[in-house]
Amino acid sequence: MQGKSIHYQKLLKKWSEKHKDLQRQIFEKHKDAFDWLENNSKQLVVGSIAGIFMLTNPIIPQIPATFSAGLSQQEPVDKRVFLIYDLKNVLPSDIRPLTSDEEAKVTEVLSRTFGVNAVGELSGKRLNSQYGYIGQEQHLARFPGDNMYAHFDNPEESFEFGKHGMAPGLGAFRYFANSRGEMTEEDNLREKYYIAVQTFLSPGFNENVREYMDFYKYRKMLVVNPQNGRAIVTDIADSGPAAWTGKQLGGSPEVMRYLERVDGSQKGPVLYFFVDDPENKVSLGPVGL
Amino acid sequence: MKRKHFYSHLVETTHITLEIAELDVTSGERVHLLSLVEANIHTTVVSKVLDELDPLDKKKFLSNLSLEDHDKTLAHLKENVSDIEEKLKKEIDKVTKELLQDIKEAKN
Repeated sequence: MQGKSIHYQKLLKKWSEKHKDLQRQIFEKHKDAFDWLENNSKQLVVGSIAGIFMLTNPIIPQIPATFSAGLSQQEPVDKRVFLIYDLKNVLPSDIRPLTSDEEAKVTEVLSRTFGVNAVGELSGKRLNSQYGYIGQEQHLARFPGDNMYAHFDNPEESFEFGKHGMAPGLGAFRYFANSRGEMTEEDNLREKYYIAVQTFLSPGFNENVREYMDFYKYRKMLVVNPQNGRAIVTDIADSGPAAWTGKQLGGSPEVMRYLERVDGSQKGPVLYFFVDDPENKVSLGPVGL
Repeated sequence: MKRKHFYSHLVETTHITLEIAELDVTSGERVHLLSLVEANIHTTVVSKVLDELDPLDKKKFLSNLSLEDHDKTLAHLKENVSDIEEKLKKEIDKVTKELLQDIKEAKN
């Protein structure tokens, strides 16, 4: 498959030359360090060397038939490009609830891309929005006595996610299990990949609070960052945030990390839709492409 | 989630990705252009880092880089170069702006 388009040819020429110039400059200025690296490379336990590969190799002048190990992650990137592009053409420029036409187009794109049935309305119930700003939530206590020392499966997770702390109160549906001994893997995942949504603002909520809360409890939702194409199946385990915050939902530390979303002035929008999964076949967690 | 490079958290290329998505190119060409973006950013970052280090630390850095130990690489740089993340962010922003400009010019 050879490149033929004008855009591609222009950019290939420009960016290959730019890279060649950068390589020439870096090797001229830091020759001693690279000579040392070359002489000692046999003593170094080199991994997939992607970090060095891009410095020391000329850019391949045409589209490679297969990519080297260091560049093997590019196929998923390309699929995400199409998703990002599709969503960009459908989503409004401002962050607001989608119109029924927009919702239909977005759910069609998401269902097709991720292979789950994503819907804005399920069993006659819908949230106040499907496109909103997501904020950072804390971990939730899974059972009486749960704490930050016992919350994680391994030291890496503790190091990565422990800093967010545990919410002082319980989630909207209280504990996930009655005791540590009764905890299942599903309970564990429900806390790990939970979101908080504004259940209290959904149309009809005040007239049937009990029915709505039963419906929302651990209801699966597909959450997608439209700017990087990352998607994760989450569950509703808390209510919030308050309307005055300017945010429409919140994500657990694990959810926020995967979506590459942060709180505060850098906050960004996500899409969130119910997953119609009557047989409970869709797993919680990141969705690959 | 494994980080791809020690500076990945400083890189925001959504605009470039979207601009490339809008070009009249094939899927394979698009992937190749994205790899060129990555290579140009990478070389720019490494060049800036080497400019900031003394000879001994340059070797240590290249050694860490070749081992792909991203946390160790970043920790070493933070210890030896003041405001390294701010400096790298500035370089990354500069090169991504240039690449974006290149795409706009290629469209004309």
